[in-house]
Amino acid sequence: MSVEVQSSQPTTERLATVIADLLATDDRRCLLGEDVVGGGMLGLSKVAANDPKLRGRLLGSPLTNAAHVAHAGGLALAGLWPIVVLPSSGALLEALPSLRELARQPWRTAGHRSLPVLFVAPDGPGFGLGGDAAESVESTLAHVPGLELWTVGQVEDVPAALHAAADFSQEAPGRPCSPRVLLLPRRLLLGSGPRGSTARPGHPDLPATLAARPELQRLREGADATLFAWGDALRAALAAADACAAADPAIAVTVIELARLAPLDPAPLIAAARATGKLVIAHCGPRTYGLGAELAGQFADQAILQLDAPIRRVCGESGPFAGHEEHRASPSAAAIVDAIVDVVRF
Amino acid sequence: MQATAWEPEGVECLLDASGGLSDPAAVSGLDLRDYYKKLVAARILDLKLGRLQLPMWASSAGEEAVSVAVGSLVGTHDWIYVGNRDAAVALTRGLAMPELIRQALGHPDAEMRGRNLPGSIASTELRIAGACEPLGMSLALAVGQAHGQKLFGRGRATIVLFGEGATTSGMFHEAMVLALAHDAPVVFVCKSQLWPEGAPAEAGLLGDSVAERARGLGLWTRRCDGADVLGVHRALGSALHRAHEGSGPALVEVIVTPMHQDPPAERDPIERLRRLLDARSEWTQPFQDVVEAELHNQFDKALARLSAETRGVA
Repeated sequence: MSVEVQSSQPTTERLATVIADLLATDDRRCLLGEDVVGGGMLGLSKVAANDPKLRGRLLGSPLTNAAHVAHAGGLALAGLWPIVVLPSSGALLEALPSLRELARQPWRTAGHRSLPVLFVAPDGPGFGLGGDAAESVESTLAHVPGLELWTVGQVEDVPAALHAAADFSQEAPGRPCSPRVLLLPRRLLLGSGPRGSTARPGHPDLPATLAARPELQRLREGADATLFAWGDALRAALAAADACAAADPAIAVTVIELARLAPLDPAPLIAAARATGKLVIAHCGPRTYGLGAELAGQFADQAILQLDAPIRRVCGESGPFAGHEEHRASPSAAAIVDAIVDVVRF
Repeated sequence: MQATAWEPEGVECLLDASGGLSDPAAVSGLDLRDYYKKLVAARILDLKLGRLQLPMWASSAGEEAVSVAVGSLVGTHDWIYVGNRDAAVALTRGLAMPELIRQALGHPDAEMRGRNLPGSIASTELRIAGACEPLGMSLALAVGQAHGQKLFGRGRATIVLFGEGATTSGMFHEAMVLALAHDAPVVFVCKSQLWPEGAPAEAGLLGDSVAERARGLGLWTRRCDGADVLGVHRALGSALHRAHEGSGPALVEVIVTPMHQDPPAERDPIERLRRLLDARSEWTQPFQDVVEAELHNQFDKALARLSAETRGVA
């Protein structure tokens, strides 16, 4: 392994490379957002802005509440594959009417019109902003019929997640695309990943297509309990599982990362739940009406006879939060360990 | 002449109340008898659809100048985003009557499987996009569609139709801002019933001009009288021509008088053109009867066949 691969690179720089690659590999792609021509939010279009061949598809767009989301949908209807960089996941809530309309267009037109558009938004705690930046909006977005909702929980996966989410090559007559949202946990955006593995499609380490990024990933294997987590909470979940594995006596925990939150395919989740019968769900944002409640409901419906303990959900506290307390929006590894011990000893 | 309650202000006049044409050169090349037939067909379609007593049905009698101008002027590659009172756009564009009726009835065998919003007629082949649920949403979609057309090259445009009710929404302003920011070849067509008594006072805009507000933002605008069918045709033609040429977005405001308000005869766009044709001895009662009967027959036949099919299935 070369020294270059071992050194690390900020996530935002890695994403800037991915965006330039995405624009270079398919000229239907265009990038929208405020100041994308000047490098854009977090510098995500910095690499593309320096490439004269790509600059024409950086479409600087004024801030509006809702119209910019509908506008991107219109571009998709015209045959483009727009990628929209939003300042925060809260912007998706401001644009909820547009998002709802885009998501139902393929349905309303009986599949005649396709919406290959991707919205990328920083989500959850991390920038010290508090307010809606400390919330998790996935419950609201998961309720929009027709919308695909993706997220990512490991910092090294972020470039691959963007590559996969921006891939609409499965679009075909009679097989329209749904609009897609990719939530990027802010703490991952502030992190770093291995340099040099960002990117080109065809790179052996990188799934270049959506099909190659599974809806869920098994990150740890263990027979004592099953832990479901996604987004910002995944890091704490993995730390908790590793702590349990290192304890004496050791507790072996299966960790399942949900990459696609909507539409949800419950079958593999239920199979994983049945395998141990001891379940913990960890996610950012409040527990009440969180997506963990939906999972717990599915498990109660379809795996109740295999369950050996109550289903434990470990989540963030209910906000709102000031900037200095926004870490409370996400569960701690210690709280997840406690829940695992609880269900295993039940 | 002093403006009356039935005489909108600040509009250019091409075809006056008595059917006088101020600038014949402006409509040279337009077959006025054929154009008249389309207007009558639009009116009869509205009458026939109204008799079906569909839920949420709103009559568009009095708005034919807009529907027929849009349906006649768009190019093959242009897109039209319609609302729920624009069935005549699809008719003028050439949508087959059986499909038009299936869509109006929300029939599951219609192209969109009965999923259109009530009153909204769409067609993929004719590039007519149906109405959206949220107020003003189709304006922003249309801007995006037009922007996309521009990125693929010149010569294509998108038209979006809406009522003055949408002009109090944020979406209306946001859509105009985006159209200007991206210099999109989009033509906003506002059918305004503000004159003389179409809207409640809380609309807050009585006597206001949508076109003036749009011009304030920097759009090319025209304000027309919906009773002046040829004026509407000319204004919309100019707006589309600019868009096709790459000269950017435009807004055409058309003051329409709903026929159910029982306005004076000269407020009826069809009657105005009839007066012009009559003065040129190009209109006769039998001509009128034949045009009307043709549409009645088409509609009745298509409806009867659809009813028979539906009974057959049941």
